[in-house]
Amino acid sequence: MAVRLQRDIDKLNRSVLSLGALVEERFRMAVKAIECRNEELARQVVEGDIEIDHAEVDVEEECLKILALHQPVADHLRYIVAVLKLNNDLERIGDLAVNIAQRVADLVCNHGDFFQIPFDYHTMAQSAHEMLRNSLDAMVNRDLDLAYQVCAQDDDVDFMKNQIQALFAKEIRKNPDEAEDLTNLFLISRHLERIADHATNIAEDVIYMITGEIHRHRRFEYESS
Amino acid sequence: MRRRRKLLWQLYPSYLIIVVLSVTALGWYASRVLRELDHERSVAKLTTEAFLIEKLVHGLWSVDKGPELDYLLKEIRSKTSDRITLILPSGKVLADTHFDTDRLGQHAGRPEVKKALGGEISVAKRPSFSLSREMTYLAVPVNVDNRLAGVIRVAMPESALTGLLSKLQGELLLAGVIIVMLSAAVSLYVAQRINRPLAQMRIGAAKFAAGDLQHRLELPNSEEFEALAAAMNEMAAQLDSRIRKITRQRNELEAVLSGMVEAVLVVDNNQRVSRINQAAEQLFQISEIRVKDRTVQEAVRNTEFQRFVRRTLSSSEPVEGDLRLLGDPDQFLQAHGALLKDSQGAAVGAVVVLNDVTRMKTLENIRRDFVANVSHELKTPITTIKGFLETLKDGAAKDPESAERFLDIIIRHANRLNSIIEDLLSLSRIERYAERGEIALETHAIEEVFDAVKRTCLKKARHKEIQLEFDAGDQIYARMNPTLLEQAVENLVDNAIKYSETGKMVRVRAVKGPNDIMITVEDQGSGIAREHLTRIFERFYRVDKARSRKVGGTGLGLAIVKHIATAHNGRVTVESSPGDGSTFSIHLPIE
Repeated sequence: MAVRLQRDIDKLNRSVLSLGALVEERFRMAVKAIECRNEELARQVVEGDIEIDHAEVDVEEECLKILALHQPVADHLRYIVAVLKLNNDLERIGDLAVNIAQRVADLVCNHGDFFQIPFDYHTMAQSAHEMLRNSLDAMVNRDLDLAYQVCAQDDDVDFMKNQIQALFAKEIRKNPDEAEDLTNLFLISRHLERIADHATNIAEDVIYMITGEIHRHRRFEYESS
Repeated sequence: MRRRRKLLWQLYPSYLIIVVLSVTALGWYASRVLRELDHERSVAKLTTEAFLIEKLVHGLWSVDKGPELDYLLKEIRSKTSDRITLILPSGKVLADTHFDTDRLGQHAGRPEVKKALGGEISVAKRPSFSLSREMTYLAVPVNVDNRLAGVIRVAMPESALTGLLSKLQGELLLAGVIIVMLSAAVSLYVAQRINRPLAQMRIGAAKFAAGDLQHRLELPNSEEFEALAAAMNEMAAQLDSRIRKITRQRNELEAVLSGMVEAVLVVDNNQRVSRINQAAEQLFQISEIRVKDRTVQEAVRNTEFQRFVRRTLSSSEPVEGDLRLLGDPDQFLQAHGALLKDSQGAAVGAVVVLNDVTRMKTLENIRRDFVANVSHELKTPITTIKGFLETLKDGAAKDPESAERFLDIIIRHANRLNSIIEDLLSLSRIERYAERGEIALETHAIEEVFDAVKRTCLKKARHKEIQLEFDAGDQIYARMNPTLLEQAVENLVDNAIKYSETGKMVRVRAVKGPNDIMITVEDQGSGIAREHLTRIFERFYRVDKARSRKVGGTGLGLAIVKHIATAHNGRVTVESSPGDGSTFSIHLPIE
């Protein structure tokens, strides 16, 4: 029984890591699409989302199957619960990557492949990517420190988003005609920020998986202690 | 140590048991034989006595001669210790050597007497009823006139014999104990002797197991142990040579794998990484220790690769595929996968070889773009020239005003064509000379170069109201070809002026660093987007197609800069952030 449980968990682990890799790739493609103003790349991200959706459902079904068949306890139970939750976050990140790609596609559609971006997305995208990558690494290596690092990094991304928001307000006052494009650009920053939030959620699930403590909404306690 | 004692304790007690058993058995057998011999002798003696007595009393045998016979027997008693009894067939005692006949009861019930009354000689060994001792009885029937007249019974006590026997037994026991003790000592020694070579072999085998295959066992004296030790030595030698062979092969394989440019990954049937080579470690930025025995999904976060591994494992044929690693910049890989089979032919895993074709792909792109671009660049002026010439021929030449304008356009485009070809030629010249090493490098001050550039560019800068600032540092010398370096710096400054708006500043500086001399040209123009930075040194690569042609330029300026830097054994780099301007740097090696 234990052997079969372990085998099923190994399989689940492979599936969820595949999904993680897929989501990370989509995110990078979306970011690249912003940088290169590449409509083709953006289209690929949009079309590939169905794959992520299917993978998410598969992972969820595998979790439910293990719960029903093996009634796991302790570590295994925590692992399944964490996977169930971060599965959802991964799928949301995939959706957000699609949203970014759609914004890029709109912009390219309106302006061709050369338009100026007044905000610095690169640093923000890199931070969000680093958080996503680290949260997945933390899951793979059961690395508690890395997971905490991801949680701490979320503030940086929030700060960047606020900066961009201020910049956006200034730009839109300066060029009210370009409100539509600027909104598209601003939405991208919002999506990046949401992706960072989901990466934080994943890191929190990883913390739960390792320690059994629910870390969510405890940031202030953590920081003040 | 404990094992050796155990074997001793297996051997030694069995030796002891054998010795004790055999001594006991021998003693028991000897005393039994003695007893039997003694019995036979006493029976023979008693028989003789009985017949003698019979002869003696034959004539007197009758009931009424009882007292006479009794007297006779009592007389005999002083000469012999045996008891002699004459019994009538009725069982009444007629005469006895030891007792009064009246006091003796009925004797017919005695087993020997009963048998003798039946007419045969009988022997019995039993405790006496009259004398409370173990006795041997012999009864002989007496026939008078062919008629049974009675029984002569002769009896002899056992005691004399038993005393002798027990003395003998005591001596036997003593001898036995001595023999047992002696043989115990001897067998202890023998057991240890058998044990000793075994213990040595055990130590030797332990050394073999610990890897000391150079060790050789001493050959013991006994044939079997010698054969065993020789076989073990042979085994060690074989093992040694095989292990050496395997180690050598493994080292060779290791060297081949780590020397390979291609990344190699070996996975088992459960998609777990069993080994990777250094190229793979670098390619995926993982370390073998961390990813060993982990799944491919954990080790390499790339879906295309994970899919390729699955495909390889599920296919019986070798598979091929193209993979893309997202990154900055993307990497393109050509993957080959094949199943690994064990000696029975069952699949035990798969090996995946990845060939980095990024450079090839990039070069292919550059070549393709170059051909397309060069044709385009050359075609545009030619089309224009051709168009205006045809217009002129069709009659516009008669209108002096438009003819003048058209000819101006034609000249401008011819110049442009000329400068493109000029640049292409100088590019190929630099390339050719650099290849042959024919570019003469001499030591000159950077300041000289800056002065020359200042002379040529100042006018253009003034024309666009751009402030040009030169800072040649403090007497920096470098090995250079002044003409070429001038051209390179001029190209950079020229670009900076072209892409800056009126009123901005272009700063040209020379800095001597610890590793190289750096000439930087910094502008405050529109900047270059990140994705173009790696490609702008390619020939005819244009960031913004429409705009750069408007400001003039052949599209070859930066390519020339790059080639000149390379000809100086240096390199050229660029940093830029959109909106803030760009900085181009030529790095020259320190002489």
